[in-house]
Amino acid sequence: MSAVSLRDVTFTYPGAAAPTLRHVNLEVAEGDFLAIMGANGCGKSTLCKTMNGLIPQFIVGDLEGSVTVAGTDVATAQIGELAQRIGYVYQDFENQLVRPTVIDEASFSCLNFAYDDYVERGMRALELCGLADRADSYIWQLSGGQKHLLALAGAIALEPDVIVLDEPVAQLDPYHADQTYKVLRELNEKYGKTVIVIEHHTDFIAEYCTSAALMANGTIAWKLPAHEALRRIDDLAASDVHPPQIALAGRELVRVGALPENTLLPTTVDEGATAFWGVPFIPRERAHAVHPVGESAVSFRHVDVSYRSVKGEPRRVFHDLNLEIRRGEKVALVGANGAGKSTLMKLMCGLVKPQAGEVVLGDVSTRDIGPDELSERVSLVYQNPEQMFIKDTIRADVEFAMRARGVADAAERAAALLDRFRLADLAGHDGRLLSGGQMRRASLAVGIALDPPILLLDEPTANLDIGTRQEITKLVSDLRGITDTVVIATHDMQLVCQFADRVIVLTDGEVIGDAAPDEVFMNEDVVMRSGIRPPEIFQMGRALDCRAACYTLDEFLSCFPAWVAAQRGEKNEIAVSGDRDGRECA
Amino acid sequence: MIEKLSESVMDKVSIDFLRDQVLKNAYGNDDTPIAALDPRVLLLWYLFFGIVPWFLNDVVVLLGFFVLTVVTTRVARVAPLVLFVFAIGVLSQTGYTFVVSLFFEGNLDTLASLLVLTLKVATCSLASITVFSGLDPDRLSNGLLWFGVPERLSFSIAFAYRILPILMEELQNILLSYRLRGRAPAHDTLMGKIRWLIYQVKVVMMSFYPLMLNTAKRSRTTVEALELKGYRYASTNTKVLKIKLSSLRAGRREAIFVAASVAWVALCFVVSRIVGL
Repeated sequence: MSAVSLRDVTFTYPGAAAPTLRHVNLEVAEGDFLAIMGANGCGKSTLCKTMNGLIPQFIVGDLEGSVTVAGTDVATAQIGELAQRIGYVYQDFENQLVRPTVIDEASFSCLNFAYDDYVERGMRALELCGLADRADSYIWQLSGGQKHLLALAGAIALEPDVIVLDEPVAQLDPYHADQTYKVLRELNEKYGKTVIVIEHHTDFIAEYCTSAALMANGTIAWKLPAHEALRRIDDLAASDVHPPQIALAGRELVRVGALPENTLLPTTVDEGATAFWGVPFIPRERAHAVHPVGESAVSFRHVDVSYRSVKGEPRRVFHDLNLEIRRGEKVALVGANGAGKSTLMKLMCGLVKPQAGEVVLGDVSTRDIGPDELSERVSLVYQNPEQMFIKDTIRADVEFAMRARGVADAAERAAALLDRFRLADLAGHDGRLLSGGQMRRASLAVGIALDPPILLLDEPTANLDIGTRQEITKLVSDLRGITDTVVIATHDMQLVCQFADRVIVLTDGEVIGDAAPDEVFMNEDVVMRSGIRPPEIFQMGRALDCRAACYTLDEFLSCFPAWVAAQRGEKNEIAVSGDRDGRECA
Repeated sequence: MIEKLSESVMDKVSIDFLRDQVLKNAYGNDDTPIAALDPRVLLLWYLFFGIVPWFLNDVVVLLGFFVLTVVTTRVARVAPLVLFVFAIGVLSQTGYTFVVSLFFEGNLDTLASLLVLTLKVATCSLASITVFSGLDPDRLSNGLLWFGVPERLSFSIAFAYRILPILMEELQNILLSYRLRGRAPAHDTLMGKIRWLIYQVKVVMMSFYPLMLNTAKRSRTTVEALELKGYRYASTNTKVLKIKLSSLRAGRREAIFVAASVAWVALCFVVSRIVGL
């Protein structure tokens, strides 16, 4: 029997001109671990909401076709009955937590459905999610990863047959995302639960999922076993899903004849190691980046920081931290959540003052000047762009800081910035109402409005789908020429590789790695301790030759002499044919 | 010196500090003897100390009541900020009335009668501080539920505690946006200081608009999640109510607390009799 079955489902939101779902047919077998991929706005979340009965029972609209979950017809069943068949974890899971303490939250649904043993059921769910020891904590004491696990615990407390998660990786760092996926795998393998995830990250799909479906234009384009699905490179790319880099590399090698025509494209590092075996691979020597010895932009001198905690001892973040950031450096701050990245940024813009030691910007200590003067030296773009919008249009937001300082041509400069970030058409909109990528662009525009010599970006690519992420990555890379010193706190190693010349790895408030990206990623101890996840293509290169350090597909491919030769040949061909054309025209 | 002092005061009264204090008050005292008591008993206890003082005029008895509520407030480990606000409120009220009364030929008698009023207000407020900030929100709402307060209201109390930290953090970040990007007026002269103060108040007011919008945006998921967790379903199910209330248990601890309170009240009356004679 299918765990979830949708037959010819069409759904139109009230007032919408076109249906969001069009004739969707989907069968999810019991015990499946399914990933649903697709571009933003293609109807993935709507699809999931038809499964748990929110559509049509809570969100009204025009629904046709039939949806059954574990044999129950969704349209007619009680929400209570459905909740015991299917659990749901939202993308913005933090807003899903409604109770003050962990055990309350986990057992809340069981209490609402009048189970006498609701506390035991909640506890069992917490144990499955590895949160049993935090049962009596308050929710705000949890880290982001733990909150996500708690949202999952709340969803599985009623022991549903099906669990649906909306983009689990988007809001978590890779380490915590891995943890969530491990819990899901256990639920799937040991307890026979059917798991459905909306997911863009093909590395996670390759590692954990058994099948994958692609959604495009409100309908399911296809559903295939996961590895087969990941080989459909063109379909994925057309839907803004980043195909696995290893598969792309495989296809290129097939194209130039280095691999036989009938090769199954590899999708994981292990498969790649087998497939590329025997193809000559010569790692390029990389010139190690020379450390710039320019003047100091920011220097941390014996800095101690701790936060007041609600109960007990203050929580210490940094102790005797010494760090020097020089002018013109492009720095990436990496490390798990709670390692101190945000605090380090707040120290630089004077929002947090050290209890001991000092933070010196250029020639002044952050202690000696107020935050509004500091903002001419350093600018911080928050992780959550909503909090940057304090006016009711983004134009006013971009102008705000300039107007406050009496900049004469504020309006023109704002217009130029909006143009640059392709927001001119949206200038009159409230920032909050924009899409994720637009919001992020607007917040960047606000951040660089004052032309600060130092720019701090907190997680600029979090929460974005791959297409938008690449766009932001490019925008940030473009800043290289404009803003002098840039520091980015991020989990996005792709961004690190494309942008940074220096990586600072923080773990528990300690700098455990501080070097060029190569040296950091090559250092296994640092990678292990910090839980960072180097890009897949980097791991692939290392699997073939431990001296290889490739960050992009091109860098990886250029280690194959066969590919380089073919590439050169093509270039010559183009040049030759161009010549010939030219001659003919003449 | 004054400069230094005012700076350090300003440093203390940051939003961060307020947030810390509010959180401390809400969550930092869930392991005190007061928090462990049955909420129903505490609510009844509060009703007594909230109402009875108003019908008494005996200074000794009132003083006794006051001492008791001071002790319970101490035991409940109420956050310093709340006590500070309380003290300012009560003292300024009395002090101001006394000054006014002096203009109208008041004397020490006036002070005595003012003391009675002050003790009444103080006892009543401290009792409510003890109960409402000493109790953990969930227990408080269960207690209210038992007394027949609608379920929606008692849930709201617990939910308010859940979103309080989120709201505080959101507000803090929005205020930071203003502080970083705005430009506060220079405050070295007196006029500057006034302008600076007005600016700060204005910023707090302006922050409410983005704060409300951001919260509204978040609440969509919350509403759907409540539905999925069967919250609406539960409010019509009497069994759920019964399960919730079954966690309330009054036992020896409560008996001791009530007995001690009664004994103290009786003692106050006895002492007042003796002194009165």
